Amino acid sequence: MIEPYNKLVKLAARAFYDDLTSKGDNQPKTGRSDNRGIAVVVLDALTRRQWVREEDLAKDLKLHTKQLRRTLRFFEEEKIITRDHRRETAKGAKIYSAAVAATADATTGKEGEEKVKLHTHSYCCLDYAQIYDVVRYRLHRMKHKLKDELENKNTIQQYICPNCGKRYTAFDAPRLLSRNGEDFDCESCDGKLDVESDKLAAQEGGDGDGDENARRRRREKLKDMLQKMEVQLKPLIDQLGRVKDLPVPEFGSLQAWEARASAAGRAANGDNAGDSKSHLGYNGAPMPYSGDTKVVVDFNGTEGKGEGVKSETDSTSLKVLPPWMITSGMNLTKEQRGEVKQETKMDGTSTSTAAQYTDEKKSTIGHDDKNIQDEYIKAYYAALLKKQHELEEAAKNPQDANAADDPSSSTSIRKVGDKYKREEDDDGTEWEEAPARGNGIGAYKVDLNVEADAPAEDDEDDIDWEEG
Amino acid sequence: MQLHPRYFGRNLRDNLVSKLMKDVEGTCSGRHGFVVAVTGIENIGKGLIRDGTGFVTFPVKYQCVVFRPFKGEILEAVVTMVNKMGFFAEAGPVQIFVSNHLIPDDMEFQSGDMPNYTTSDGSVKIQKDSEVRLKIIGTRVDATEIFCIGTIKDDFLGVINDPTTV
Repeated sequence: MIEPYNKLVKLAARAFYDDLTSKGDNQPKTGRSDNRGIAVVVLDALTRRQWVREEDLAKDLKLHTKQLRRTLRFFEEEKIITRDHRRETAKGAKIYSAAVAATADATTGKEGEEKVKLHTHSYCCLDYAQIYDVVRYRLHRMKHKLKDELENKNTIQQYICPNCGKRYTAFDAPRLLSRNGEDFDCESCDGKLDVESDKLAAQEGGDGDGDENARRRRREKLKDMLQKMEVQLKPLIDQLGRVKDLPVPEFGSLQAWEARASAAGRAANGDNAGDSKSHLGYNGAPMPYSGDTKVVVDFNGTEGKGEGVKSETDSTSLKVLPPWMITSGMNLTKEQRGEVKQETKMDGTSTSTAAQYTDEKKSTIGHDDKNIQDEYIKAYYAALLKKQHELEEAAKNPQDANAADDPSSSTSIRKVGDKYKREEDDDGTEWEEAPARGNGIGAYKVDLNVEADAPAEDDEDDIDWEEG
Repeated sequence: MQLHPRYFGRNLRDNLVSKLMKDVEGTCSGRHGFVVAVTGIENIGKGLIRDGTGFVTFPVKYQCVVFRPFKGEILEAVVTMVNKMGFFAEAGPVQIFVSNHLIPDDMEFQSGDMPNYTTSDGSVKIQKDSEVRLKIIGTRVDATEIFCIGTIKDDFLGVINDPTTV
């Protein structure tokens, strides 16, 4: 369905953009750093993706973001791709100290410890409907220009002002006549206008043969060009014909696409399937979506923190929320695959909320779901706090097992933690660190693992959730 | 056609016709072109008195000769101004500009108190008041104005009549 369109894009890229460099014009183009053809690579990559974040694309293609951006900007101007710029928390960003966060990019303006940075992320997607039109228009203009030159039709002289660049045609001639009647003056800046020659077949020296020969040579050259163009562009024109009657593949806006992709993913198989579709470009942080995520919750133990997170959630109410949020709203006790992620995401750290927002994009929830989820968050943090306090107490004496046991019976949330622990026994390593920092979730792990050990080991986490 | 009451009387119709001719001849409408001459009055409708003033408006149907230049048309014109960018010529009420790249390449611009275009051997000269035959390659029609671009580069175009020799 989409294949003919992709083929069209590839043909067009090779036909028209294969000599595009992404170097600035004033930079020297050395042999080593010549990157002609980068445009083709980028377009080809885009045919294999739908909406993709530009950083991810740069990483995949092993290009500099700046170079890629320049190329993408060029394509955006050619109306081949659409771009969308969104502000959202950095995915997988490390947790910086509050000071750094405060001085970083646009923060959300919340007082207190500010752990969340909002970056502007850019996404891009091929715009197939426009590509079809753009390519056709380009071909039309090319043919027209050659034909006009050939038949001397394109003979309305154009003038350009060297000062301000304003363009005029011969039709404006009477307006432009200067006072002395000798030349044309620009209307805005009174500069003398220059003639703009639009002859494709420029006359080489050799006017000596007289007009006839020169004219004949020009005609030959133009005819030649026209013929070569027809021959070389034939595959592209054929592809255009084939694509003409097919419905255009339409991805919609970024939000709509995310919603669809995550919904489809969830429908297919909860989280993991959704991953495959929306994984690309959304997990900027290589956080695994499977249950193996190990997270160390750095909980300062302040209510404010929890609330800070909560209000964060609120402020981003427009954001799509992770799939597990939806399901969790329904049943707190059961943890199927979705719930396992809860703990990882329900961390009090900004990065974990960042991770949460990563997933948020994968699905849209109605507002009522959001409310349920908010309540859940509140309850959860309250419970976490309680648990943490108990844990700290318990950490003084080596009766942690008991201490840990108690909370585990208190609320359904504990049960969640329990099961998670049982599944992830080997995750104990990271949880050991938790008590030292008053990590609430770590408390859960305390049950099964020796928590007296000093937290020495760092796990090979994809994301280091720990607070510095 | 609006008429002041002082014209009412026996000669109302004549007054109306002459006023019409005075007003309309020489004007240009984008749709029809320049009105050259009124040839006949077809019909004069009933007059409508304007509120507040004594003027009366008559709808008049008339026939006239119009002149509208078209693309591709060949015209004779008289050169009015020569410039290094080209020359301006007039064919009746319409002004035509021929830019220098539509002037045959063997004609060069020569400035002076009588700027002109001349062939290398001096045999053909285009200067003010020369008559040239040109071909219209483009027209620009405003609401009340028509302006054309022409060429003399094709066959059978160019100077008809040299004012110095005639």
